[in-house]
Amino acid sequence: MTRTRVILSAAALLLASSALPAVADDIVLGGSAPMSGAQAEFGQSQIDGAQIYFDQLNEKGGIKGNNIVFKALDDRADPRQGTLVAQQFCDDSTVIGVIGHMNSGVTMPALDIYSECGMAQVVPATNPELMRMGFETVVRPVANDFVQGALPAKYVTETLGLKKAVLVHDKTVFGQGIAGVFKDNFEAGGGEIAGTFGANPEDVDFSALIASIKLENPDVVYMGAGMPQLALFLKQMREQSLQAQFIGPDIGFTVDFITQAGAASAEGALMTFQLPPYDSSPELRDFSERHQARFGRAPGPYASLGFANAQVMAAAVEKAETLDREGVLAQLHGVTVDTLLGPVAFDENGENTTASMYLYVVKDGKFELVK
Amino acid sequence: MFDYFLQQLIFALAIGAIYGLIALGYTMVYGVMRLINFAHGEFFMLGPYVYTFVFSGLVGLGGLAPMLDSALAIVASFVIIGLLGVTIERFAYRPLRAYGRLAPMLSALGMSIVLQSAVRVTVGPQPVHFPAIVASEPIAALGGMVTTMQLGILAAAILLMVGLTLFVNGTRLGIWIRAASESWTTSSLLGIRVNRAVSLVFFIGPGLGAMAGIMYASYYGIMQPTMGSVIGLKAFTAAILGGIGSIPGAMLGGFLLGAIEVFGTAFLPILSGGLIGTEYRDVFAFAVLILVLLFKPAGLLGETISEETTVAKKDY
Repeated sequence: MTRTRVILSAAALLLASSALPAVADDIVLGGSAPMSGAQAEFGQSQIDGAQIYFDQLNEKGGIKGNNIVFKALDDRADPRQGTLVAQQFCDDSTVIGVIGHMNSGVTMPALDIYSECGMAQVVPATNPELMRMGFETVVRPVANDFVQGALPAKYVTETLGLKKAVLVHDKTVFGQGIAGVFKDNFEAGGGEIAGTFGANPEDVDFSALIASIKLENPDVVYMGAGMPQLALFLKQMREQSLQAQFIGPDIGFTVDFITQAGAASAEGALMTFQLPPYDSSPELRDFSERHQARFGRAPGPYASLGFANAQVMAAAVEKAETLDREGVLAQLHGVTVDTLLGPVAFDENGENTTASMYLYVVKDGKFELVK
Repeated sequence: MFDYFLQQLIFALAIGAIYGLIALGYTMVYGVMRLINFAHGEFFMLGPYVYTFVFSGLVGLGGLAPMLDSALAIVASFVIIGLLGVTIERFAYRPLRAYGRLAPMLSALGMSIVLQSAVRVTVGPQPVHFPAIVASEPIAALGGMVTTMQLGILAAAILLMVGLTLFVNGTRLGIWIRAASESWTTSSLLGIRVNRAVSLVFFIGPGLGAMAGIMYASYYGIMQPTMGSVIGLKAFTAAILGGIGSIPGAMLGGFLLGAIEVFGTAFLPILSGGLIGTEYRDVFAFAVLILVLLFKPAGLLGETISEETTVAKKDY
């Protein structure tokens, strides 16, 4: 008797609490990126950017009269946490689409979980493999690392006419992978790779490595690694007066790179990044102002990408015949939309057919777009 | 090629000096207590954080001459972290002495996690730029290049090592430490306050670790909460290589490990004709370590532990 009553009231409570967070006709979309830890600056900026777009939509009455609720969870750039987050989104039947995750290493194990529960996924991570694993629940508006390694290789061989490069990588999937892409393109452009050097991902002392690179006397040093290693390597390189052109990938596109390497050492370093500067078009300037007004600070490095990803996700929801996971998923691959970062359409793998990549150079202690 | 060798030797000395300074902390504690103090890497990490805190505090208060501010902050870091070491020993290790070796060792592991997480939570997990204490000017010498920073690190480390050797071998307090490391029972029978010797060791060891941390942060230009983990393990390795418990052994082990790492990176690709890349550095370094231990299990300068001393140590 008492036991039945307890169970009944517990069931009633459960029903009541599950009904609380979202009203019946709210559209709930999930987002996940590192919002704490060393990469929080990058992750939070994506979440903020997406939030701005959904706010904007809601002001105009949402999608088909339904309010959009954007539910952001922190994956701490940790694959274990990422799979937990994925499971949480899958288990919450109100969530009908997810934007995430930022890191390739976090996205990879989570793909399986999202695909199991038929969740449409817009991926901001850049590892080329992600879109070639046979999952049909994913699209990627951002350029992958094939593009990221190819652009600087083309630039230094064709525009700067530099023909002798040395590769340094940190033995990670990302670092070694992108250094390999650079190598292929550099050689295709008529350049010669004088040597490939591996270091550990946590190394801070590169002095011995640099001294042996000096023996090769290269024109270009391409480094596939993370932060702070990119900055430390460049600093030690200049201390040993190795004057070769330094090139790094997107992770180095942060003010920390310049402060940690020192403005004098960083001068002239090239860095690839998936996004244009915030003052490069009227739309981006407008976005920048809205971001300032909404959050009281300038947009972070990946904010415009977060906004564009939200546009893609919203377009799929807009076209969906039924407002559930199947409905959104059915439309995901066929979406064509003019985003903040340009037109987006997907090929059979779910890759954006026109994704851009930008090359920046450090000039007077700031990143400047290479025209 | 000789220029190249000299150049690499300079790098090896600079990083080896830092390893050696940290290894001293491990070896002194082990010598007196037969305890591996796993929290030692965190004292190294705390060094630059405490330095920055004191230094910016001094500058905030108006400050003196910049060099004087730095000097004061360095001394303050030594003292503060030394006292922290003493406190940790008093409250986290001493109460566990009666319970064998495992309990204090676990306590030390726990302490390491506590200190690292505390910094991560209060200051933040991201690497922070650490402004160089001495301007790093390159000087051309013998066909190679040496920076004033490297010279400064080498000089300071050697000064600290010589100072410690004189202190341990030539002063009354040093006699306490040496006596306690030979036998607690006999020392206390002869009127030596063993607990004071332990506290002294826990003041000097972490203090030296903090000095190494400041040099390291200044050399590479950054500090971060996790920086003590990897380098702590390396310094521990250096202490074992030199013979744990032996003070000259720790210094030798530090320089040796630095040399193995640097020359491993520098000459592996050349000697193997490009077959073995620089990424094999650690494989090489630790293979050498295992080889040394196979032939000299007590380390290079370690004493072979006789049955007698082992028994005497059991009463701790």
